[in-house]
Amino acid sequence: MLSMNVEPQPPVSMQPNGEAHIASAVGFSGTMTGVVYLYTSASFGRQIAASMLGLEENEVDADEMVNDVMGEIANMVVGNFKSGLCDRGYSCALTIPSIVRGSHFTVEPISSTERKVYHYICRNRPLVVEVLLKIGEAPRGR
Amino acid sequence: MKPKILTVDDSKTIRLIVTKAFKPFDVEVFEASNGVEGLAVAAREKPDVIILDITMPIMDGAECLSKLKAHPELKNIPIVMLTAESGRENVLRIAKMGVRDYLVKPFKEDLLVERIGRIIELKAKGEGTVRAKRFDDPISLLVVDDKPAILDQMRSGMSDTPWKVEGRTQTGEAVDYCSQQQPDAILVSLSLPDNAGFTLFQMFRASAKTKKTPIFGLCVKTAADDQLRAQQVGFTGVITKPLDIDDVKSKICRALNLDTSYKYFAQRDGVLVMTLPANFNPNVANEIGLNLRPKVAEAVDSGLGRMIVDLSQVRTADVNLVKLILSAMQLCSELALKQRIVGTALVVQECRNYEESKDWQFSATYEAALNDINNAALAAAA
Repeated sequence: MLSMNVEPQPPVSMQPNGEAHIASAVGFSGTMTGVVYLYTSASFGRQIAASMLGLEENEVDADEMVNDVMGEIANMVVGNFKSGLCDRGYSCALTIPSIVRGSHFTVEPISSTERKVYHYICRNRPLVVEVLLKIGEAPRGR
Repeated sequence: MKPKILTVDDSKTIRLIVTKAFKPFDVEVFEASNGVEGLAVAAREKPDVIILDITMPIMDGAECLSKLKAHPELKNIPIVMLTAESGRENVLRIAKMGVRDYLVKPFKEDLLVERIGRIIELKAKGEGTVRAKRFDDPISLLVVDDKPAILDQMRSGMSDTPWKVEGRTQTGEAVDYCSQQQPDAILVSLSLPDNAGFTLFQMFRASAKTKKTPIFGLCVKTAADDQLRAQQVGFTGVITKPLDIDDVKSKICRALNLDTSYKYFAQRDGVLVMTLPANFNPNVANEIGLNLRPKVAEAVDSGLGRMIVDLSQVRTADVNLVKLILSAMQLCSELALKQRIVGTALVVQECRNYEESKDWQFSATYEAALNDINNAALAAAA
């Protein structure tokens, strides 16, 4: 669907550097509650949107198009993540996707939250998936 | 009437991808961004299939589905659910909802088309309205055979035509090729290991892209069991090895209904000219025979009253040739056309050996035939 290969890679700095970034987020709520962020540079977000929609990059003429694609990708990633949780007894429901854009922002967890950051590379551009988890009551029988 | 597809998804991206996937097909795609809109469009358009997302704002897919199933006019519309969740629990929940099928995101466009193609008939855009293809059009052939020599023979055999031969030695490669391209005809070896040729045939028939593509089985002349099985499962035909390239071309022409008449029929000098080639054989006789009546009728319809059968390139007159000329002469008589036959002395002599040729009028050259036929027409008018 995306027609791009994504490979894990060692952590790279995604600290604000003035470059415009885009982060799409989908949350899940239930026995396990949390949120997953998918973020990359805004320019690479545009390339991703073009690839997914089968368009040339210059045909992606609106940020809204990029937002929608990034939101949908986050939805697919978190949907599959949620399926894994549900199969292990952690039932939860997904939220609708949301988008954050900017050049000077960071995602910070609060103290009671577990944080996992996964770094990937795709067409030589970094792509980061950040999972923030707040574990509730363990499912029955676990 | 075009089949109607309704995509109900809050993601514009998914709706765009669905619309793009069906662009090559003669269908109408309608969009709705949530369950409420979906119900309204479904009630208005009565689509033939609905592709329904589960997680949506305002009204989600599950509620939309239950309302569709409760609606007397909409309850029988097949629903294909789209979900980003592939877990057991979710799949079981979807199965219980009474949907026809479901797809997990991310999905490939080809897979979506294939699944929808199982529910509604997907015809390529313009199918049935395009002009008939001619023998000299660039036809694409996919040949699947693990014997490279067969692929080479096919390529060299078709080198005198604009036909393009794509060879694949593995069935997986052939499936990949057909997911990107749409060949005009496919030839599959029936002797691939583990019945792979037959399995591949079933896969092609299950795919919306190739379900109507002519598919020929390739096998040695003596493999009677394979030939019988191929006919039983629905192959378009069987082409035997060693390959007879003229026979291969002829079978493909017939399967694709290619127009070959221009090779043998022409209207010039106020006359319909039927020219028989040097390589006259039963296949050529069959091709000309199929075109003879419509071409003569077309000539009469356009005001021509004369026909010349040009045998000057033919080396020998066998029974097939005599039968064909006899049909042409009978047709000329039926439609009151003046006719002449051009042939070498040898061919004329060979024709004369048949009783049926006693009334045929021969001329030595095309020019002489034209002159003779014009004089005969003038004499008849006088």
